[in-house]
Amino acid sequence: MNDFYIILTACLVAINCAIMGSFLVMRKMVMIGDAISHAVLPGIFFAYIFSGSTSSLPILAGAASSGILATIIIEWLTHKAKLQSDASIGISYTLLFAIGIILISKFGANADIDQQCVLYGELEYVPLWLEPIIGNFYLPKQTIILLIVSVVVLLAVIWGYKGLFITTFDENYSLSIGIGVGFWHYFLMSGVSLTTVVSFESVGAILVIAFLSGPPAIAYLLTGNFRKMLVLSCAFGILCSIIGYYLAKSLDVSVAGSISVVIGGVFAIVFTATTLQKSKIDVISN
Amino acid sequence: MEIPIIEAHNLTVLYGRKPAIWNVDFKLPEGQVIGIMGPNGSGKSTLLKAIMGVVKPTTGYTKLYDQELEKVRHKVSYVPQRQEIDWDFPASVWDVVSMGRFRVRGIFKRLTSEDNDIIKESLGKVNMLGFAKRQISQLSGGQQQRVFLARALAQQGELFLMDEPFAGVDVATEELIIDLLKDMKSNGKTLIIVHHDLHTAQSYFDHLVLMNTRLVACGKTSDVFTDQILTDTYGGKLTTIAKISQELENKEFPIRHR
Repeated sequence: MNDFYIILTACLVAINCAIMGSFLVMRKMVMIGDAISHAVLPGIFFAYIFSGSTSSLPILAGAASSGILATIIIEWLTHKAKLQSDASIGISYTLLFAIGIILISKFGANADIDQQCVLYGELEYVPLWLEPIIGNFYLPKQTIILLIVSVVVLLAVIWGYKGLFITTFDENYSLSIGIGVGFWHYFLMSGVSLTTVVSFESVGAILVIAFLSGPPAIAYLLTGNFRKMLVLSCAFGILCSIIGYYLAKSLDVSVAGSISVVIGGVFAIVFTATTLQKSKIDVISN
Repeated sequence: MEIPIIEAHNLTVLYGRKPAIWNVDFKLPEGQVIGIMGPNGSGKSTLLKAIMGVVKPTTGYTKLYDQELEKVRHKVSYVPQRQEIDWDFPASVWDVVSMGRFRVRGIFKRLTSEDNDIIKESLGKVNMLGFAKRQISQLSGGQQQRVFLARALAQQGELFLMDEPFAGVDVATEELIIDLLKDMKSNGKTLIIVHHDLHTAQSYFDHLVLMNTRLVACGKTSDVFTDQILTDTYGGKLTTIAKISQELENKEFPIRHR
């Protein structure tokens, strides 16, 4: 049953990240996921201080708002201060992350915030906190939260698909027909923030980035249709999670690390295959 | 002049500290083909973007149909420069042209069969119906431009602002666009086109806006397409080019004429 819990959790993270990541990859801003997953630290600290508990809900709210704050700072630096977007990302999240570290090391000596955990996650421990669902059916607490977020993310993307699609494809044209580019930016960023925050708690920041960028990049190589790209990224995210889990189990290594490696491996295989196919087509057409 | 379709007043746009356009005033008439011309970096594209609200003017304002842009936006279509987007984006020709209906139908509503008919009709007008399912990365420059035009046509507006629609397109596309423009003009549409090529200016445009960050001249092509005004717009560059082409013509080098 533990296998099932861990794989289900990883798959839910994979689906959320694949959907958000597909938009981020096409907007050339996937590292914003990295920024958010680090920038949450001061938010977590304040949520812990004010609520006095480590229960999930206030912590999640604190983390998510801190993540959104990071995206606002990045947006401001890029558009108002005219800084390059990668430099804006670098400056804002390291600053927020560092503030978080200082606050915790000064005032949170007894706080149960493990920095190891932030980076590498605790996928293996997910089955330790089970909640009853119906009768004998239990689900880990993390998995339940992820399930809710998945539903929210899916509904939001279906509801706002056209807005997200057009503003990702052609910002100037969207502005010209009166579509609120700013609204859709923050709509997406809220989704990314929510996804990242609930995901990194279970799988760690590294795997979140791997899930945000890897499966969408693989799908991008394989299709010229954005809807298909969304579906394919989810499929590859799930596939890599399952392979990665059993690989980790057989080698007795970290699950999050193993899944990240599998994502890299699958990307390399697909990239080689599509490149070979392309050169074949070139030879034929020449 | 009757009611101007576009009016710019004291329009200035700064990028950082550098002015892209400086204190531009003009009025443009309805129902004509109007060219916006000037050397590279003279603010032609920025002018279109300021009119469409894509960039915010630092000072001044523009009015369309004597109203705020927001009130008449449904009548105006914008064709951005082809190079501004990533043509490797996973989208089909149909996906791009259907964007022309997004705002008309409402961003949260599904497109109806009426929208689909309009998209088909627009694709037909630019001879791209057979390419509807084609992925946009597999299009030639001319085909990309036609897709952009079809998207603007699908909005079914009255006023079209096009940024360099003739840049880097093949001869067939150029001819198709010219026919399309004539057809649109005869249907009472107004077309405002950022253009590069001085040789074709006289035959394409009824009216010209000549600018070099500041406005140099605005009026009927026959009135403003003069040596003096062109020299004022292009500065020394034009005379060099003119001299070279004169020289080539004298020596009977085969250069292309229109």
